[in-house]
Amino acid sequence: MNPLEILIEYWPRLLDGTLMTLKLTILGALIAGLVSPSLALIRVHAAPMAQAPLRLYVSFMRGTPILAQLFLIFYGSGQFRPTLEEWGLWTFFRDPFNCALLAFALNSTAYQTEILRGGIMGVPQGEIEAAKAIGMSRPKILRRVVFPHAYRIAWPALGNEVILLMKASALASVVTVFDVMGRTRQIFSRTFDFSVYLWAALVYLCITAAFVLLWRQAERRLSRHIHAPGMPRASAQPFKESQA
Amino acid sequence: MFEIFSYGDAGWGDEILRGLAITVQLAIVTLPVGLLIGFLAAFASLSEFRPLRALGFGYTTVMRGLPEILTLFVVYNGVGLLLNLTLRWWKPDAPPTDFSPFVAGVIALGMVFGAFAGEVLRGAFQSLDKGQVEAGRAIGMTDRQIFLRIQLPQLWRFALPGLGNLWINMLKDTALVSVIALDDLMRMTKVAVGVTKQPFTFYLLACLIYWAMCVLSEVVLARMEHRANRGIRRA
Amino acid sequence: MTKPETILKAEDIHKSFGRLEVLKGISLEARNHDVISILGSSGSGKSTFLRCLNFLEIPTSGKVTVHGEEILVKNGKPQNVRHIEDIRSRLGMLFQQFNLWTHRTALENVMEGPVQVKREPKADARDRAEALLKRVGLEDRMHMYPSQLSGGQQQRVAIARALAMEPDAILFDEPTSALDPELVGEVLKVMQSLAAEGRTMIVVTHEMGFAREVSSEVVFLHEGRIAEQGPPDEMFTHPKTEVFERFVSKVK
Repeated sequence: MNPLEILIEYWPRLLDGTLMTLKLTILGALIAGLVSPSLALIRVHAAPMAQAPLRLYVSFMRGTPILAQLFLIFYGSGQFRPTLEEWGLWTFFRDPFNCALLAFALNSTAYQTEILRGGIMGVPQGEIEAAKAIGMSRPKILRRVVFPHAYRIAWPALGNEVILLMKASALASVVTVFDVMGRTRQIFSRTFDFSVYLWAALVYLCITAAFVLLWRQAERRLSRHIHAPGMPRASAQPFKESQA
Repeated sequence: MFEIFSYGDAGWGDEILRGLAITVQLAIVTLPVGLLIGFLAAFASLSEFRPLRALGFGYTTVMRGLPEILTLFVVYNGVGLLLNLTLRWWKPDAPPTDFSPFVAGVIALGMVFGAFAGEVLRGAFQSLDKGQVEAGRAIGMTDRQIFLRIQLPQLWRFALPGLGNLWINMLKDTALVSVIALDDLMRMTKVAVGVTKQPFTFYLLACLIYWAMCVLSEVVLARMEHRANRGIRRA
Repeated sequence: MTKPETILKAEDIHKSFGRLEVLKGISLEARNHDVISILGSSGSGKSTFLRCLNFLEIPTSGKVTVHGEEILVKNGKPQNVRHIEDIRSRLGMLFQQFNLWTHRTALENVMEGPVQVKREPKADARDRAEALLKRVGLEDRMHMYPSQLSGGQQQRVAIARALAMEPDAILFDEPTSALDPELVGEVLKVMQSLAAEGRTMIVVTHEMGFAREVSSEVVFLHEGRIAEQGPPDEMFTHPKTEVFERFVSKVK
């Protein structure tokens, strides 16, 4: 068969796989995005002893293959099946999609926490003091000054992390989740037509390219304060006497 | 309870160690292949010749955007197909051969490593002090001499942190070859799990082994960076 | 004429960093309309003292009272922590490095306190912020980000930001020392106009001209203690202590 015939015959499956890849990536990144801010705050502010478990978690997640993490959760949970059944959790762990999502979310949380920690530490101390000086409460300072700033600093690195997560999501195919990679392997095992891999590559590249564009667009919006258009840096202007 | 990890017939210690040996071999053989590809990619993307530059840029961009496991399958199945095609064309009655998963692993991981390393090395080249190259020219060194005597020794210092990260990533990516049936650490663990029915115990053990290798790598890399920065005052 | 009421009172402020004692018991009282200049060579503890007044630096011990609300500090622990934010919202502060929030425009910087801390309606806060920016001569720079403003303009935005909180007193921490010499004047002029309208100000500064001509009282710190204190004319013409005399002759 020629490559186009493969595409014509199997595009619904590839599309289905694409949606699964997007679902895994977006949900995983989102869950990690919700958990990481508080963990990052702990990494910045908590006492070294209180941080120890968190640092161990981050180090473990960064020091082991995601595939191994996925197997640990998906197959490993089987070892505790009676207990998990008792707690009503077995239906969750039996589903490969759930396990893959959990593994990716846990992994991405570790990376996002470290990225955000860097962002928080990059917030100028003076701006925090200025907020204190007008009497802002701590939660408000975090919400109005620290996090808006930290996310601007961390934005490009967070984007990279989402792309890495998208690529890692292809591992879900190993535990029979039918994402792009899973569908591709399925089609290949039927047709032995190599071109399906090239289509899969194209799908991944398109997702990456689209994501990079979107992320840059958002970054431009976020960093208006650094290079706003059409306004030259103002020079010193003579002070006008006040009417007061 | 530890006898399942013991060495010999009763336990899985020897099998897992054999898997570990394959994993380490794979990583060590991949490193020079990946570095070579990385240098080629860096030279291409720094080239004055436009098509070559486009090629370098295209290669690093595409490879970095693809899931590693896809690259692995493309290499394993693609090269395997190609091999059998040539074989049949050359000797029509030959039985189909299997492409070695080890070689497939080295090529695929090397291609991935090379794409990322290309970017690291290009960045390192560009951060080299231009004045030193000019100083080399001024005393009449050839481009080759300038590269070998001035640029390469300093390149190391700029590229080491980035390459170190790539080494650790590659070490972890070796786990993927278990999917194409290479008997590495990950696959031997799977075999042990199949027999003992203790998946959590053995996958945790595998994780701990990978973790130990990564932490060890980090320690060694930190030493190397320290050495590479001798004589450089911190900014 | 009745004596003006006390706005801010600091009593026996001590501050140590580890084993180094930076402030060795400083007391200061600011009454309504006072403009107090705090002078001293670097390392004399003058900035630290100012920062202790609104608890950006927690004193090791001492007492600060702002408008009847007092906070007592013992062993580095303030007794009623919850009043700190309250006291801070009553004291404006200007920083050496301006410390504008770089991700917000000039106008947003000025509106932030009234809206977020005092919970004023946005429309009111905006009107007042616009008026204040006009007052410091920046009506045409309101929608610019700090990175688009010169240092002098940034410091004037910071002054508007402090005024927006309608503070009982304003603390100035070397507000002109990070500015290029040609930009110092525009900021000093605004400060001068604030003094003229009767604002209570405590100013840590190196500007002798300002200390001498604008302030009602000068405090000279030396090695963590008040070495000399009094009306500026008297102090500058007849220094009582040798350290202050040397200080004055050096900066001239």
